Amino acid sequence: MAHDMEVVNPRAGLFRVILTAYGVLIYLFLFTPIAVMVLLSFNKSKVVGFPMTGFTLDWYSSLTQNMIIQDALGKSLAVGVSVTVLATVIGTAAAFPLVRAHIKYRSAVRVFITLPIMIPGLLIGVAILVLSTNILHLQPSLPIAVIGQTVLATPFVILVVSSRLESLDRNFERAAADLGAGPVQRFSFVVLPLVYPGIVAAALMAFTLSLDEFVVTNFIIGSDQTLPIYIYSQLKFGITPEVNALASLMLLGTITLVVVTTLGLRLIKMLTAKSRQEEKTGVPA
Amino acid sequence: MATLETARVPDAGPGPAKPDAKVARRERRNWRQYVGFTPAAIVFGVFFIAPLCLIVVYSFWQTKDYNLVPDFTTKNYATIATTDTYIKTLGKTILMALLATATTLAIAFPFCYWLVRYVPPRLQRVLFLLVILPFWTSYLLRVYAWVAILGDNGAINVLLKNLGLTDSPVRLFLYDTPGVFIVLVYLYFPFAALTLYSSLDRFDWSLLRAGVDLGASPMRSLVTILLPQMKLAMVTAGIFVFIPILGEYVAPEIVGGTNGVLMGNLIANFFAGYLLPLGSAASVLIALVILVLLVLFRKGLDTKDIYGS
Repeated sequence: MAHDMEVVNPRAGLFRVILTAYGVLIYLFLFTPIAVMVLLSFNKSKVVGFPMTGFTLDWYSSLTQNMIIQDALGKSLAVGVSVTVLATVIGTAAAFPLVRAHIKYRSAVRVFITLPIMIPGLLIGVAILVLSTNILHLQPSLPIAVIGQTVLATPFVILVVSSRLESLDRNFERAAADLGAGPVQRFSFVVLPLVYPGIVAAALMAFTLSLDEFVVTNFIIGSDQTLPIYIYSQLKFGITPEVNALASLMLLGTITLVVVTTLGLRLIKMLTAKSRQEEKTGVPA
Repeated sequence: MATLETARVPDAGPGPAKPDAKVARRERRNWRQYVGFTPAAIVFGVFFIAPLCLIVVYSFWQTKDYNLVPDFTTKNYATIATTDTYIKTLGKTILMALLATATTLAIAFPFCYWLVRYVPPRLQRVLFLLVILPFWTSYLLRVYAWVAILGDNGAINVLLKNLGLTDSPVRLFLYDTPGVFIVLVYLYFPFAALTLYSSLDRFDWSLLRAGVDLGASPMRSLVTILLPQMKLAMVTAGIFVFIPILGEYVAPEIVGGTNGVLMGNLIANFFAGYLLPLGSAASVLIALVILVLLVLFRKGLDTKDIYGS
């Protein structure tokens, strides 16, 4: 089916080989830097670069003794959790009226909401910096970084949750209303169970975005250090493979988080489908 | 033509009646439905819209004795326009963004075409996930990894030396404009691939066969049937690559050296040096470029009616 070009084009076999080779090249381009980053975390030399002088796990073990990194990790997680909670609540709250309210210029509102994604982080960063120091008279700090990242993450939450909400069949709620469910019951027993995979995905997105956010945070965090800020300060003086080890672990952590969440969502879906099946077959009419 | 016109008359046939305009207005006036917007409106208003407006205002003020004075002036813009380095950097940034965007689209399109048409669906999903995977690794270290690839002790130089091709490190790419270009294409490739892939994925490939059946060569049917339909996706992908590059300051700082400076670096330096009005003016210029682009992009969106559905 997908290869009907080949049916009509005798040279499609060659075309296919060339394109496949091209695809492999693209993956090389995308993954060489990441492979290099991980590879050099095992390098014996203190300088991050080639040639590799030997294999070692020292950089991983020295991570456990590095208090600065651990402090930065703690702050990153604290900021990440705060941003995730704030952005998910604010974004989900806004997604409902965006989809359901009688808005005349819905697409304009949607464009407005995506503006923080469209505008370079640099501009958002300096703008919030100027606002906080010149108008609010607040020095850059961790809470301001949380607010800045929330501005960045909320649009993603709104987009993800609203697209999930759009595909929701409103007849479920009408049926619930007919059966006497009030607004609160309809929301918690009908809407939420159907929308929450979108909310979980959005929260995950907000968290991973926060964990790696540098461009905006750099301007507004002040003297505190999250992991990206710490890494940046190290880049300026020449990093040690310790930072590579840290980044490799973080990559592993993020992948684990995403895989676990995806599998978890799928498992819940399977279990609820199964229990529904049992209800259907188990209770004879 | 006449039949088309009558077909568009509302309530002309069976089906749900058009809602009454009065009812619609009354429904819109019910304020309760907008309550959910409140937190977002407060956060966006205070920490996004207000700060950006502030930047616009400050770009017309000036500093006297290290204090910001509300004295209307266009001096800041004049300074940027007349200072050779500033205006050259602005031009270079726009040119770099254009070139990097064009390159990214040009290499992403055949890639997505291959992914959609030549890779079996199951593998396709995995391979596509791999394209987004770089987003989950440290942005800073992905940039820095290029120093380890292109640098003096980098992978390429070590390879060349071991092959006996060179004695001393080749400094072709690192700490100069080409290095920045490579890293920008690398950083924003996934953005372009995301948009192009989802658009190609929805394309009705039987149209191509129809074109061939009607006597077009496969290449010609690609160019005349597929490409026009991809126009919108290309524009969207282009926007998502072009705009962030305009504000990029990390990649030039890490791999660019003194020659690779872009507008983002100037802005970051202005603000770091407390040159608020000058930094604001430079930011407004970048924002203006984006604004012009988004207005043009709206026109790009209108083509949806022509090519879409």
